[in-house]
Amino acid sequence: MTVVEESTATTVASPVGQSVGRRLLAYAPILAVAALAALVPLRYSDSGSMMGVVTDGLLFASYAVAFNIIFGSTGQLFLCVGALAGLGGFASAIFSDRVGLPMIPAIVVATLCAALIGGLLAWVSVKRALETIFIGIVTLTFSLSFDNLLLGRRDLTGGETGLFIESGGDTILRERVPAYYVFLGLLVVYLVIFRLLQRSRTGWAFRALRDDKLAAELAGVDVSRYRVFAGTLGSAMFGLTGALYAHSGRGFIGPSTYAFGEVDVRVLVMLAFGGIGSLLGPVVGAATFTWLDEFLIEYRELRLLIYGVVIIVLFLGFRRGVVPVVVDLFHRLPNRQRPR
Amino acid sequence: MRSALVDGVVLGLQYGLLGVGLTLIYGLAGVLNLAHGQIAVLGAIVVALVVDAGAAAFPAALLGIAAAGAFLLLLDLTLMRAVYRQEGERRVLLGLLLMLGVAFVIDGFLVWRYPVEQLALRVGGDAVPILGVRMTRGSLLASGITVAAGLVLVVFFRYSSLGRGVRSVIQDEEGARLCGVSPAAVRTFVFAMSGVLAGLVGVTRSMTSPIGVNNTISFTILALIVAVVGGLGSVSGAFLAGVLLGVVDRLSSFYIGTYVTTIVLLLCAAVTIVARPSGLLGRSPP
Repeated sequence: MTVVEESTATTVASPVGQSVGRRLLAYAPILAVAALAALVPLRYSDSGSMMGVVTDGLLFASYAVAFNIIFGSTGQLFLCVGALAGLGGFASAIFSDRVGLPMIPAIVVATLCAALIGGLLAWVSVKRALETIFIGIVTLTFSLSFDNLLLGRRDLTGGETGLFIESGGDTILRERVPAYYVFLGLLVVYLVIFRLLQRSRTGWAFRALRDDKLAAELAGVDVSRYRVFAGTLGSAMFGLTGALYAHSGRGFIGPSTYAFGEVDVRVLVMLAFGGIGSLLGPVVGAATFTWLDEFLIEYRELRLLIYGVVIIVLFLGFRRGVVPVVVDLFHRLPNRQRPR
Repeated sequence: MRSALVDGVVLGLQYGLLGVGLTLIYGLAGVLNLAHGQIAVLGAIVVALVVDAGAAAFPAALLGIAAAGAFLLLLDLTLMRAVYRQEGERRVLLGLLLMLGVAFVIDGFLVWRYPVEQLALRVGGDAVPILGVRMTRGSLLASGITVAAGLVLVVFFRYSSLGRGVRSVIQDEEGARLCGVSPAAVRTFVFAMSGVLAGLVGVTRSMTSPIGVNNTISFTILALIVAVVGGLGSVSGAFLAGVLLGVVDRLSSFYIGTYVTTIVLLLCAAVTIVARPSGLLGRSPP
């Protein structure tokens, strides 16, 4: 499926022997995204609800980049994006408001918790040589258990009513426009991490094991190590994003903030639409579906139905995603060499 | 304690029936039907609508069960064709994602059109004591139908040539083809059968508690847990796992509490996958 597809020209085979200019060029798309996104508040800064919507867009783009590292790069179907983000969010809330840690150490601890659990999931599935579908089922059971735990331990999590977080109340995270830029910064950092990985030896190993696990192993790629690495790193990113989100905005989180249907499904659709494995796929997907959600706001009850249809259509007929197709077209223009 | 055990077995038989439908399709086609619970509820909603329109309960129930079967049959003939063209891991992944999409379509449709529609079949009469535990006629009838369906399945798979054909395709698709069994025809048949089983669960469950949109996801999850614990592709495994999990469910909610119960069941599935991916009675997955 899509996972094994080449991400064509966006990946440069080897950075060795390239001029500094060319090397920097690889980061140009990230700069362009950052510049474009930085202009958004100019238009919406007077509308509180629209700022919330575009900040959510950045949030989901960040989730999707992290998911892209785990699923897009190493083919591990982690159906627990929301649960790991929620682990980050609730852990950070509990460590700061209950245990009394300052906000930033609490976020760090929460991020480590998510990384630990995600790494553990990846480690177990590597150790037991689980196929994609079984990784999916194990992570799904983790998601559902986490959901039940949230509802059950209402003394810590507030149960169905959710939780108002005091910590971070006096920071810029509670102000609309600065919070937007914090999340934009987070997304840019994630994109840079993704590109750095792609261009490093790790990225080479990722592509090798994504294309053919057995061949990669024979070529000396330590498949287990890279899978656990991707699982841990991506999960840390979920946790950090979820924790930051918990302290931002109104400082409110509930079970639906991180629910499977709200987070995992959207992230999967966004990434599939944008292009699994590509640098900007998550951004394009998140932007498109954030816009679509706003567009369909009057048909709220139809959203589930529409998402279902979109999933079917995407995986049936448009498995490559927008970004790889556009990049391909770009490289077919005259005066451009086609890659390979 | 005793009532929890009897309750558990009754519940477990229905869990088993739920799991069988899921396990068959996976064993046969490599498609993990994440819309199984949605299809069960779809069948139940059809029954409710037909009853609302003035029909008697029994023909309405048959119609609903047939509708669930027809829905999966249709999926096999249309959407799943793209899945069958793929091989190995890709096939499994595509099947899973498409079925996730189908699950959302059904859920979305039901939430949109029939958010409050529920099916609650009432079976009249006083409670009957069984092994010293008083059971309502509804849950007796539901268990009776479930046990009968289970027996029919066992006889079908053991003695009919079509049933043996199905098992041969699960074991070895290529070998079955060489023996003159058409895997595609068997697959279509099993999809329809799985839909019928799902519809049957929807109808029998509604004899003990009302069934509506809110039940879709929990049905799917239960079917998944049962199929995984029993071993994906194993029919007898699904029934064994269903009964075991049903008893675990009742005992755990009797002694510990309801929210822990779901986690206990989920843990059973996770531990099974990690410790013995082929499940209680399954062979290594196809």
